[in-house]
Amino acid sequence: MATNKNSNKGVSRRKFLVKGGLGTLGVLAVGTYIFRNPIRRGILGKVNSLEMPYTDNTDKPMIWFEITSDNFIRLHSPKMEMGQGTFTGIAQMAADELSIAMHRIKVVHAASSTGNVDSFATGGSTSISGLWQPLRELSAMLRTMLLKEASHKLNLDIDQLIVEDGTIIGKGKQLTFAQVADGVDEWVVPDSPVLKDIKDYKYVGKPVPRIDLEDKVFGDPIFGMDAQMPNMLYGAVVRSSKIGSVFVSADSTTAEKMPGVVKIIHEADFVAVVANSMIEAENAKNAIEVIWESYDNLNTKDIVEIMTVGNGSSTIIQKKGKALKEKDNSLTMEFRTPIGAHAQIEPNGVVAFVKDGKAIIKISTQVVGLTRKEVAQRLDLDVEQVIVEPTFLGGGFGRRLHTPHAVQAALMSKAVGRPVKYFFSRKEEFQHDMFRPPTHHVISGNLNEEGLLNVLEHEFVSGDVGNDSALIPGFLPPIIGADIGAIRGGFIQYTGIPNFRSVYWHVDLPFATSWWRSLGLLANTFAMESFMDEMAIRAQMNAVEFRLRQIADDPIGIRLKNVINAVTDKAKYSENIVEGRAMGLAASIDANTPCAQIAEVSIVNHEIVVHKVTVAMDPGLAVNPDQIRAQCEGCVIMGISAVLYEQMFVENGELAPTIYGPYKMALMKNAPKEIDVVLLQGKDTPGAVGEPPLGPIGAAIANAVRRLTGERLTQLPLKLPKYI
Amino acid sequence: MNVRFLYPVVVLALLGILFSLANTPNMVTHTLPVSQHDIAQMESSSFTVMMDVLTHQRCMNCHPNDDIPKQGDDRHPHYFGMARGINDKGFQATNCHTCHQSVNNKNSGVPGAPHWALAPASMGWEGLTRTEIAGRLLNRETNGNKSHEELIEHMTKDELVLWAWDPGVNANGVQRTLPPVSKEDFKKAVVDWFANGAVIPTK
Amino acid sequence: MKISFIINGMSKIIDVEDENTPLLYIIRDVLDLKGTKFGCGKAACGACTLHVNNEAVRSCSYPVKFAEGKEIITIEGLGNRAKPHPVQQAWIEEIVPQCGYCQPGFIMATAALLNKVPRPTDKDIDNNIINICRCGTYYRMRKAIHRAAELSAESSSTSFKITD
Repeated sequence: MATNKNSNKGVSRRKFLVKGGLGTLGVLAVGTYIFRNPIRRGILGKVNSLEMPYTDNTDKPMIWFEITSDNFIRLHSPKMEMGQGTFTGIAQMAADELSIAMHRIKVVHAASSTGNVDSFATGGSTSISGLWQPLRELSAMLRTMLLKEASHKLNLDIDQLIVEDGTIIGKGKQLTFAQVADGVDEWVVPDSPVLKDIKDYKYVGKPVPRIDLEDKVFGDPIFGMDAQMPNMLYGAVVRSSKIGSVFVSADSTTAEKMPGVVKIIHEADFVAVVANSMIEAENAKNAIEVIWESYDNLNTKDIVEIMTVGNGSSTIIQKKGKALKEKDNSLTMEFRTPIGAHAQIEPNGVVAFVKDGKAIIKISTQVVGLTRKEVAQRLDLDVEQVIVEPTFLGGGFGRRLHTPHAVQAALMSKAVGRPVKYFFSRKEEFQHDMFRPPTHHVISGNLNEEGLLNVLEHEFVSGDVGNDSALIPGFLPPIIGADIGAIRGGFIQYTGIPNFRSVYWHVDLPFATSWWRSLGLLANTFAMESFMDEMAIRAQMNAVEFRLRQIADDPIGIRLKNVINAVTDKAKYSENIVEGRAMGLAASIDANTPCAQIAEVSIVNHEIVVHKVTVAMDPGLAVNPDQIRAQCEGCVIMGISAVLYEQMFVENGELAPTIYGPYKMALMKNAPKEIDVVLLQGKDTPGAVGEPPLGPIGAAIANAVRRLTGERLTQLPLKLPKYI
Repeated sequence: MNVRFLYPVVVLALLGILFSLANTPNMVTHTLPVSQHDIAQMESSSFTVMMDVLTHQRCMNCHPNDDIPKQGDDRHPHYFGMARGINDKGFQATNCHTCHQSVNNKNSGVPGAPHWALAPASMGWEGLTRTEIAGRLLNRETNGNKSHEELIEHMTKDELVLWAWDPGVNANGVQRTLPPVSKEDFKKAVVDWFANGAVIPTK
Repeated sequence: MKISFIINGMSKIIDVEDENTPLLYIIRDVLDLKGTKFGCGKAACGACTLHVNNEAVRSCSYPVKFAEGKEIITIEGLGNRAKPHPVQQAWIEEIVPQCGYCQPGFIMATAALLNKVPRPTDKDIDNNIINICRCGTYYRMRKAIHRAAELSAESSSTSFKITD
C-alpha cells in the first residue's frame, strides 16, 4: 500500500493484526512494494547478466515488520535462508535504515499468510541485490512513520528528534519504537522516504557475524525436517527406481495389513502410505506392488549419445562478425560434463495439514508462491486458503525450486484428516533429483598473426534447466528459443575478439534436469576457459595477457579485467611448476558479477589435489564481506566436489548411485587448506554472490593440471589418465 | 588306495558342494583335482573348500594388504577414506564402531558383528595366492601366535568370521552375497584340513 | 520393551515396540530433540552423529537397544548459549555454518575427536572428520577445529590454575 499510488493513504494496523493473526502488542505492518515481473521483460541478450529485483506476489497488504512490545523488530523475509546469509544481509540493511541495533532485529521467514510472498523464487543470487532498494525504502518509511507519530506523541517537531537504537529521543524525552507504535491505529505513510547516505551505515559493508549462527551451532529445530504438528502421522510415496516411469496401477493388499498403517492412498498418479511412524510408512511402502511403464534399457552411453552437439534444435544466442569458415589452422575441442545431483543433506519433505477447506504447509522451499499455488490447484482450494510456512533450508542449491511433494503430503493429510509429515528417503533423493543436466561442448577458434583469437565459436547442448520449470512462464521458452538457465555462462566474454558466436542446442532427456546452483555456468565456464588456456598455449602467450587483450573495454569488460588482474597479483600467478605445484587461471561473468580464480594444484598418488584457491570477485557493493567470502569458499569447495568427484550414472534404466560414498563428494581432506578471497567493488549497488564463484573453478583446476602433466582434461569429473 | 573306488566319493563330495551352492546367488563350479594320491585329494578338497571361502570378498574385504578395508562384491576401497588406523579399528574418534555395531543393521544396511575390525596387517591376504595365504595362516609370526587348535577355534567359532554367512543387507536393502560354500561345509573343511596335517598343496 | 539411558544428563526410560529402531528416530521423534539430524539413514553423511559413552556414533545406524544403561550426549547437551562447548564457541568465532543442517553432526564428531586427541593435526582432522557438508564449510571448519583445541586447552589450563 505504502508505495502503491492507487492505494489509500494510511494503513490500518488492526486490519493487519487480524489478517496476520498476530497477537503481539504494538505490532506494526508496512505494506506492499510493487515491481513488475522482470521475467516478462526478459530479453535474451540480457539474460546472462540479469539481475532480478525482488518481485512480490500481489498488491494486497503484506507484513514486513512487527514491532514487539519489548522493542524488538521482527522482519518477515520473503527470501528464504538456505545458507547464503540473506537473513544477515537484510537485517543489516533494515537495522541501518531503521536506526536500531542489529541484535534487536529478528528475521523470520514470511509465511504466505503475511502476504509477503515472493512471486518468483529464492534463487539466481538475487536476494540481497533484489531487496537492496525496496527493503531499505520500507525501513526508511517505517522510521519516518515512527518519527511522525513520535513527534505527535511527544509534541515535538520532527527536526527536534533523533533515533538511537530503536528509541526516539528529543528534548530530554524519549519513546521506544514499541511505545510509539502502541495504541496507534492509523498511520501516515510517507510518499518518498529519504534513504540515509551509505557512508553513514553502521552495519552495511561490515563483516558482521551471521544472525543465525547460534541457532545453527546449538541445534535449534529450525529446518523443514524438524517441523511437526500435534497428532501428526507419517507418509511415504511409492516411487519407481526406473527412469521415466509412469504410474499404472498398484496392489496394496499386503501393505494395508502391516503394523502402524493408517491408510493407503490411491491417487491417479501415485500411491502413498500414511502410518504412525516413518519406519512403518517406509516398510508398508515397500510392500506395495506397483505396475509402472518405464524405460528399461537406458544406460549412460545412451544419454551421452543423445547429449551431443548437432542433435535437436539450435539457437544462436550470441553473434558477432563472421563464422569460422575453414577449420584450417583452427583448433576444435570437445568437452563433456556429467549428470550432477544436488545431494543437499536435508532431504526434501514437508508437513501438511488439510482440513475444513484450509491447508497448512510447513516446508523447506525456495518457491513459497509456487508451492502454494500448486497445492491450491490440486486440492481445489483458494490460494489464500493455503498457508505456506517456510522453514530454514538444509541446503537449497536449486533443489527446492520444485515441491510437488507438498501436493502429495496435502493429499495424504486430506485423506486422513490429520497432519502428515512426508520426507524423501536418500535413495529417492538421488533417483528423483532434478539433476544438473549433462552437457557437451564443441569449441573452435583460430589465431591471427598477433596470436589473438580471430574467431571463437562455442556450440553446446544441455538438458533443460529452466525450460520445463513451473517457474518459467510457458510462453517464454518458445520466444527466446534458448533455455535461460542452460545458457548461463555460455556467452563469449572475450568480446574484443572480432568474430564469435555461441550456439545453444536443445535436446530432450528421458529424466528431469533442472536448476542446480549456478545453472549452466559451471559446465560452460569449464569448457570455455579450458579452451582459452589451450589457445593461449598455442599462441605462446601468458594466459593472463591472452585473456586481458581480448576483453572489450565496456563496463563489464573492465570489471572482468580488474578481477583477473587482482587474482593474478594476489596469487602471484606464474606458469612455472614450483615444487610439483602448478597454477591454473579461469574467469567468468555470471549475473553481472565477474569472478576470477587461480587454483594451485599438484598430483599426489595419481590424484589431483587442490592446495590453494585464490578468488577475486566484484559483486558490487558488499553488504557483508564476510558472508561473501563464505559464499566464495563454499562455491570453491562445492565446485571442487563437482569437478573432481561427482557423477550420476544411468544403469539399466536406473539413476545411480543412490547414496553418499558411491556418489563421491569432496570431504574435509579434499578441501583446499587455503582459500584467499579478494573483493572488488566495481559498482555501487550489491550484485550476485551465491553462484558466480562456481564458474571458474573447473577450468582453473584443469588448466593447472594441463601445465603439470601436459594433459588437457576435457571431461568432468576430471580424471587423470592411468599413466600419470 | 584304489582310484576307481574313491572316484564316486569325490563325485559325491562335488555334488554336495554344488547342492550347498544351489541357493546362493553366485554359483561357483569347483573342479577337484584328481590326483594319484587319494589322501592328498581329500586334503586338497578340504583345502580348496576352505580357500574358496577365505578368498571370497566377504572374508577378503577385511584382510587388505594396503590398510584400507574393502567393500562390496567389487571390493572397492571403503568409502570416506576409512583405514586401519589404531588397533585395526579405524581412527581415534571416527572408527569402525562409529557406524558398525555388533549386529547387522537392516535399516541402514551397515553390517555388524562382535569386535568388528580389520584383520591384523600380518594377515593381509589381498593379492596373495592360496598357498601364500595358507602360509600366513599357519605361521605363528603372522597369525597372532595361534596354534592349530586356536586357529580351528577362530575359524569355526569366531562370530566375526562366521558373519560371512549372515552378512545382512546392503544400503539398498539387497542381501549381501554369501561365500560359495555353506558354513557347515566350511567348518568341516577347516577341521578336516587341520586333522589331515594342514598340508599346503604344492603345484 | 523398556530401555533406559541417560541423555544430556537426564535419565529417560522409553518404551519401544521394536528394539532395533534406530536411536536417531527415538531422539528426534520420541524425545523431541531435533538437533541431531537425519541426512541419509545409511551412516554415510554423519548428520546424525552424537556421543554414546563419549564415543562418536552415527545414530541412524545404532539400534536403540544398545543404548541401554549408557550415557548419550546430543548437540543440545554438548553446550548451550550460556555455556557453549569449546567446539561450539570456535564455530561461532569462525562463523562456520552456512545452511547449518550438517553442523551438529560435525560439531559432535569434532568434540569426540578432541576428547581423544586434544591437539589434532590436519591429518587427524582429515582422518576423523569425514561427515559431508554440501555448502562446503570445510575450510572454516578446519580453522574452527584448531581454534576449539586452543579453547579447550585454555579452559582446562585455567581450571588447574591456582588463583592469586
